[in-house]
Amino acid sequence: MYYLGVDVGSVSTNLVLLDKNNSVVEKIYIRTKGSPIKAVQEGFKILRDKYDNIKVYGAGATGSGRHIAATLIGADAVKNEITSHAVAALEIDREVKTIIEIGGQDSKIIILRNGVVSDFAMNTVCAAGTGSFLDRQAERLDIPIEEFGDYALNSNIAVRIAGRCAVFAESDMIHKQQLGYNKADIIKGLCDALVRNYLNNVGKGKEILPKVFFQGGVAANKGIKTAFERALGFEVIVPKDYNVMGAIGAAILGREIAEKEGKTNFKGLDLASSIFESNSFECTDCSNRCEVVKLHENNRSIGCFGDRCGKWSNRVKAI
Amino acid sequence: MIVGIPKGLLYYKYYPFFMTFFKELGLEVVISPDTNKGILDEGVKYCVDDACLPLKIFHGHVAVLKDKCDIILIPRIMQVRNREYICPKFCGLPEMIQNSIPQMPRIIDKPIYAGTRKKLYSWAKDIGRLITKDKSKIKRAFNFALIEQDKYKPGYNDNNQGLTVALVGHPYNIFDKYINKNIVQKLNKLGVGVITEEFIEETLIDEEVKGLYKRPFWTFARNSYGFAANVYREKRVNGIIYISSFACGIDSVVIELIKERIGNFPFMTLKIDEHTGEAGLDTRVEAFVDMLGRGVI
Repeated sequence: MYYLGVDVGSVSTNLVLLDKNNSVVEKIYIRTKGSPIKAVQEGFKILRDKYDNIKVYGAGATGSGRHIAATLIGADAVKNEITSHAVAALEIDREVKTIIEIGGQDSKIIILRNGVVSDFAMNTVCAAGTGSFLDRQAERLDIPIEEFGDYALNSNIAVRIAGRCAVFAESDMIHKQQLGYNKADIIKGLCDALVRNYLNNVGKGKEILPKVFFQGGVAANKGIKTAFERALGFEVIVPKDYNVMGAIGAAILGREIAEKEGKTNFKGLDLASSIFESNSFECTDCSNRCEVVKLHENNRSIGCFGDRCGKWSNRVKAI
Repeated sequence: MIVGIPKGLLYYKYYPFFMTFFKELGLEVVISPDTNKGILDEGVKYCVDDACLPLKIFHGHVAVLKDKCDIILIPRIMQVRNREYICPKFCGLPEMIQNSIPQMPRIIDKPIYAGTRKKLYSWAKDIGRLITKDKSKIKRAFNFALIEQDKYKPGYNDNNQGLTVALVGHPYNIFDKYINKNIVQKLNKLGVGVITEEFIEETLIDEEVKGLYKRPFWTFARNSYGFAANVYREKRVNGIIYISSFACGIDSVVIELIKERIGNFPFMTLKIDEHTGEAGLDTRVEAFVDMLGRGVI
């Protein structure tokens, strides 16, 4: 009895396999690199090689690429990231009251009371202070992103960096760097700036009570975790599977629906060897001029996305 | 003579008035199509960069309309209620357009004070005189236009679904389906009905606004705040969604006022800008509905 969760995010695509107790049997973290289909297939290849003959009884998809992922794998549940993250955190610990989740281009705060979501907020249209920005800065400073946090911990004094906009932060960092400040101090300053920005922006007006779970890819960054703890004044817990929490939630939700329906839509792990192609075109049937993406599996179209009226996305489903 | 009316900004609230007025004066009226990608692209091309999305889109409507008419209405709407004003950017709209879009036809840019019937009539007389010398014809056109405007009842009032949310924001953000990515339909699909400010009586909105320490002098601010406060106090809805244009100055104040008033009541702001990808909006809307329904967890 296994359940599969897929979280296709802007920066990473994560897959988890849960057993019947909802414990994580396998977790896979792949960089999306702009091709969600390839990333999902890559993940399936790893799963197939390792678990040849397992049967998946339910599957769920989440993340900003959840719709394409759901069509691809035949998901039973397609859920937004907020709900998925909340479900996963509550599965681990019913006492969680706040979830800080920072992903590739979104940052969220989820307030839980008595085991239900009572409030949440996300960054607005701007992605300042999220994973992709940290990635970019790490690249610019020529530091592997994995070591970013350690640099921050090695510093005793933070350089003040403007935190409210990624572009401002970057110019401020460059100015400070050209004045001769060392990398560690600049990175610590950047961590503080991101946390300040998060708390003033996403977390504004929210009552952040312990236990606080810190989830999402950025939770790997010890510098940010420590900066949060400094700012909040209490411990911030990074759960063991922090970077795949969305996928865990999706798997649990997929399981729930599959059990309710008594069957799963999951298409199987052989997906790894299918040939997927997507092409896009501008629909000229009305003035909206939607950019429609058509997805083919082994030359058979399996889904369309991106139309506003639903004409294309409904048509292929019917076939 | 053909008069062009751009389908942007307060068109959605007041088009019956303008359309009837010009038609009764014997003009042919052309209207730009519903907002679409082409209009957005044109608007972004011509408009100053720091303007809000609805203003950029208005520029786009003017751009696609300007060669199809002899004269174009750029409504400089200053007031729709006494002692209150619209957004500051509306006052300078004709200048923005004329300095940004080349080869404009003649424009109608006379300030519109619609706080009282008398003030609005003085606008109508001045504009009417450009078209006809017949004073009674102008008067008749004006009266007809007001009657048509009164008949027009825009807005949503659907509380027959499992959940209801109040959709708050400037009228063009609520009514332009391209701007808000058809949020009403999205909500309906999730089993959520929508109610908008037009269905709360003016007097009730006034009541709520009295609770503020200072009388708001922007009509948008007054409506949005009064509406949100009323649906909250009378528990007419399960939650409130505020659609706000990125960089809107009025909204930055109003949203804080609303939050202060409603405390922990479910509230979400959706910021809109040039993005055409809908994933971000879908995620927020779905999560909000999940939260209201508490069905999933």
